[in-house]
Amino acid sequence: MPLSKQQVSSLVQLVASTTPDEIDCDGCLDHVAEFAETQLAGLPIESAMAEVQNHLANCHCCQLEFETFLKALSGMDESSE
Amino acid sequence: MSEPMISDPWVERLKDPERQEEALTELRVRLVRGLKKAFSSAGESFAEDIAQDALIRILEKIDQFEGRSQFPTWAMSIAVRLATSQTRRKHFKDVSLEQFTNGEGLKLEVAVDTVPGAAEQLEQGTIYQKLSELIDGLSDRQQTAVRALLGGMPVEEIADRTSSNRNAVYKLVHDARTKLKSGLEAAGYSADDLTGSIA
Repeated sequence: MPLSKQQVSSLVQLVASTTPDEIDCDGCLDHVAEFAETQLAGLPIESAMAEVQNHLANCHCCQLEFETFLKALSGMDESSE
Repeated sequence: MSEPMISDPWVERLKDPERQEEALTELRVRLVRGLKKAFSSAGESFAEDIAQDALIRILEKIDQFEGRSQFPTWAMSIAVRLATSQTRRKHFKDVSLEQFTNGEGLKLEVAVDTVPGAAEQLEQGTIYQKLSELIDGLSDRQQTAVRALLGGMPVEEIADRTSSNRNAVYKLVHDARTKLKSGLEAAGYSADDLTGSIA
């Protein structure tokens, strides 16, 4: 079963964005709260946070989880209003 | 339980036997509301059950909280991971890895007819040909994991089916990507060439 054109594009994109020292999924989780607050505040992404950003770009699993996390945070904030 | 590494009102309350119950109740309410919004289609009791499990996990990991974010944000990150893991497990429970590999490995066959201009089309075809050769050099485990990922199977579900864990599968795929990138660079293709080929 050959890869679809979209899958090949995804693979090429993944290969192109590969860096030697990427953090893993747990490493991403360790910093994702800080990353979310930084992003929600509109602050610049510092170098340490760039690793999280890179992981999210390369890990569809964590990216979807991050989007869900942001939604949950917005729900949590609503509770304090 | 050891003393907290940082001074945070939430940590202090959660580690104080006299104030813990109140703090847990307060945190639980916030987690449930956030989870209900993020997992609105998961059923009424889902958020309540996940929040309960998350509170246990949060107390277990409380000494790992380093104060780099607000405590409720950190707590919610733990709750969301639990929730997504559970929903993914349910969604993929009847999906096998073989469904993605179909016994044919990671064969690359792609039409290149959408690229404008003959030169770009030729360049794309050459890159894909090289990529295909490099994929043949990946291990079976790497090919299977990459194929499953591209098919939409989450990392943790691949891990479950290969007696591995999420980090190990990520590393397996990272090693595969590194090998493919090195091979393409050795053949004269930069990262820009690659992204240009799919633009």
